[in-house]
Amino acid sequence: MSYIIIPSKQISENEKRKLTQFPAWSFDSYLKGIWIDSVDKFVNDQAPFRLQSVAFASTLNYYKGFHFPEKEKIVSVKKPNKLQPKNNSANDTTSAVRRYLDDFTETAASSNFLIINGSVFTLNSGVPSMSKYFADMLNKYARELKNETRVFSCVPPLSSAFIPVKKYEFYNKKNQETLLAIRAGLSDGSIFCDVLGELNKHTDKKLFFSTDHHWTAYGAYYAYIAFCKQAGFEPVPLESMTKKTKYNFLGTLYELTRDKSVEKNPDTLDYFIPKVETYAVTYKEGDLSYPYKTDVFCERCYGGYSYSTFLCGDLALIKIKTNVKNGKKAMVIKNSMGNAFSVFLISHYEELYIIDYRYSEHNLLNLIRDNQINDLIFAPSLYAANAYGTIQRMYNLGFNNGLVRQASLKARLEKDSIFKNAQNYKDSLELIDKKLFPDE
Amino acid sequence: MVFSSLTFLFFFLPLTLFFHYITKNNLFRNLSLTIFSLIFYAWGEPLWVFLLLFSAIFDYGNGLLIAHYLSKSKLKAKWILALSIIGNVGILIAFKYGGFIYDNINYFITLPFERPTNTLPIGISFYTFQTLSYTIDVYRGEVKAQKNIVNFLMFVSLFHQLVAGPIVRYQTIEAEMENRKFNWADISSGVGRFCFGLFKKVIIANTAGELVNKYLENGFNDLSSPEAWFGIILFSIQIYFDFSGYSDMAIGLGRMFGFHYDENFKHPYAAISVGDFYKRWHISLGKFFRDYVYIPLGGNRKMQLRNIMVVWLLTGLWHGASWNFVLWGFYFGCFMIMEKLLENVLKKTPRIIRHCYTLFLIILSRSIFYFVDFSKLKQFIVKLFYNPLPVKDAFYTDIYSHVFWFVLVIFLCIPWDEIIKPEHYLRKKTELVYAYAQPVVNALLLILCITFLIDSTYNPFIYFRF
Repeated sequence: MSYIIIPSKQISENEKRKLTQFPAWSFDSYLKGIWIDSVDKFVNDQAPFRLQSVAFASTLNYYKGFHFPEKEKIVSVKKPNKLQPKNNSANDTTSAVRRYLDDFTETAASSNFLIINGSVFTLNSGVPSMSKYFADMLNKYARELKNETRVFSCVPPLSSAFIPVKKYEFYNKKNQETLLAIRAGLSDGSIFCDVLGELNKHTDKKLFFSTDHHWTAYGAYYAYIAFCKQAGFEPVPLESMTKKTKYNFLGTLYELTRDKSVEKNPDTLDYFIPKVETYAVTYKEGDLSYPYKTDVFCERCYGGYSYSTFLCGDLALIKIKTNVKNGKKAMVIKNSMGNAFSVFLISHYEELYIIDYRYSEHNLLNLIRDNQINDLIFAPSLYAANAYGTIQRMYNLGFNNGLVRQASLKARLEKDSIFKNAQNYKDSLELIDKKLFPDE
Repeated sequence: MVFSSLTFLFFFLPLTLFFHYITKNNLFRNLSLTIFSLIFYAWGEPLWVFLLLFSAIFDYGNGLLIAHYLSKSKLKAKWILALSIIGNVGILIAFKYGGFIYDNINYFITLPFERPTNTLPIGISFYTFQTLSYTIDVYRGEVKAQKNIVNFLMFVSLFHQLVAGPIVRYQTIEAEMENRKFNWADISSGVGRFCFGLFKKVIIANTAGELVNKYLENGFNDLSSPEAWFGIILFSIQIYFDFSGYSDMAIGLGRMFGFHYDENFKHPYAAISVGDFYKRWHISLGKFFRDYVYIPLGGNRKMQLRNIMVVWLLTGLWHGASWNFVLWGFYFGCFMIMEKLLENVLKKTPRIIRHCYTLFLIILSRSIFYFVDFSKLKQFIVKLFYNPLPVKDAFYTDIYSHVFWFVLVIFLCIPWDEIIKPEHYLRKKTELVYAYAQPVVNALLLILCITFLIDSTYNPFIYFRF
């Protein structure tokens, strides 16, 4: 009854996604099963008392047994239930497909998470064999921009590097292996920033959030120091920045695991504002004609959105002008990890361009040359630096004229891929299918 | 569509009940049921619904023809029966086993054409068997051919049992097709049964499924021996509660509309031998193979051991188009034969030992059922028995955090209705209390299940964009 009376909700704030609306009918979409699927999703997403049910369910789950927060717990990300009512697909490609789907949509790439004392850590250390492709991609940019722009790699480790349990200490080394594999592959003047090396000197500080998959301002700060060491800058000390704090931050990993011990351990978000005047604008994907004013720090972002304090979330392109009149310009290619890191750079550049490779449709090389960028910094998460889809996308932004939408992705990959000789290249082509990508 | 979905619970079921009881006209009732059932099927299979219709009309025709010729020319009737068998088994083989057969032939001789890539039409294993049992029963004279096509279509497509069983014989509902009375007791017990089945599926099976995923899927490489056993025991729990939950829901739904189906599960994990297990698990399938394969082959009169093996191999193959299912059937066939040969020894063994030995065999067999890939299966068997890997602390956490749930599972597996006789005071008291409390219990179970279903659709993304 409530489906008809109450108007459909548009957005789920906790899940950070659009909620499905009632789908439009077309015979074609019916035949492919898309219309039916959408109706099911509509019914699920618009169910009455949705959030209350989720909260109630997690309470009920709690009472299935006993819980000891100081003991470690491993949580698996929900996957489709293998046992369907006698619906075994004769050809089960779903698990292989999901692997590649994860690369593209960057949902939790790790299937297992460790929860201990109310903190969630990922149990993954990247794929060292993939680091080479990331390095290759950087080298191509370095070669193309020789003598014009410096190219940096500032990839952070995953939170698994800092699990405070003795038997998981080896993850730190494994993360470093994956990162150093990038360094081993860099050439043509590309510069490697030893982010993990710098972070390891400060493990007494809280480097990653307990309830969110991002790093804290402290973690980002030490990465900034690692960058400064390579770029030849003097890092601005934290004490000379304005410190502010936000409380009760329950982030993405809490939403994903809905664990009671995590719920009782919300994060505190400290952020540091360099004493630099800034004027920031953002542009729509691919379009450089209409700038919209934005902020470097979002003071209004609270609760589950606290991490959006940095750069107000993930926008395709942000251009920040500062009062640091040294004529230097930088561009950062990042995903959400890079947000906390990029804000420290405003102390050193007159202009800062921050590109989220997931949403940008701008032609990178044009942007770099038109604006005479001095430093090009790649700061994606380690997952992104180890995944076919994202590496190819970062490459395409510069070399295949920017725009890569799902429909033409296959064509793009066939035309000019840095994975041409990679072992799984052909498999990845076959599995990429328009129908698999979730609708934005 | 699936029973354990919000679309079904919020929309489909209420609408179907409404249209069914809005009139006493039986034709309208059957027609509305048929239409809804077809919508139900088409919901999951927008394309293959036509195959279902074809299969139903095909055997409707066959049934009428066989009945017509039965009295005139037995030979002609036999030919039509043969046609029906070939047609039904043919459809099943083509759509379910096409890829499997192709792979096996292609292994030896490269075939000039492409591998069939169709998806498996849902429920094909059930409805082909169902219509096949109908034509055979018509031939044997056990039932009268159905003249009304709507009724026949309803028999085949009835959404209660189309997708996940039980395999309902025509005889079971022959009378009820025309004669169903509105009966509060039936509806009430139907709703109760349905809610109970939903509870089994959503709260027991799905929970077990998450743990199975964690251990046997994501954590496969690091499994220690206790963890491997834990994983496969959980899979045994999942598969039983999932399947029997669906059967409960089917039987409950049937009751709600005035149909009475036979039981499909009788506390199988209380079995004391493989033979006993067979009589308690997926009873409708066992009966099908007994009546249409085992007995025609000679049953226990002629070459019994061979017949047992054939039935089990076919049962295995029915479950899936892959060699591990055949192996599963072979495994049980061997033990069934062994039990027949050692019948006297077994009779003297204490009940508890027989029960433990049966449970052990069943749980072990689940690993053959789960791992479609033989190399993974081999690795898993090694992990079960000869495995130096240490147990992770997280394993103990999982056990502690599910203690009460495990108690509930064990409670539900015990065959209370067999242990406590109907005359016993405790049973009488429980039944009385339940009769009064039923609506409240049903409502509670329903709310609980809907809560968990909504929770399972909760799908947080890790990035910020929307």
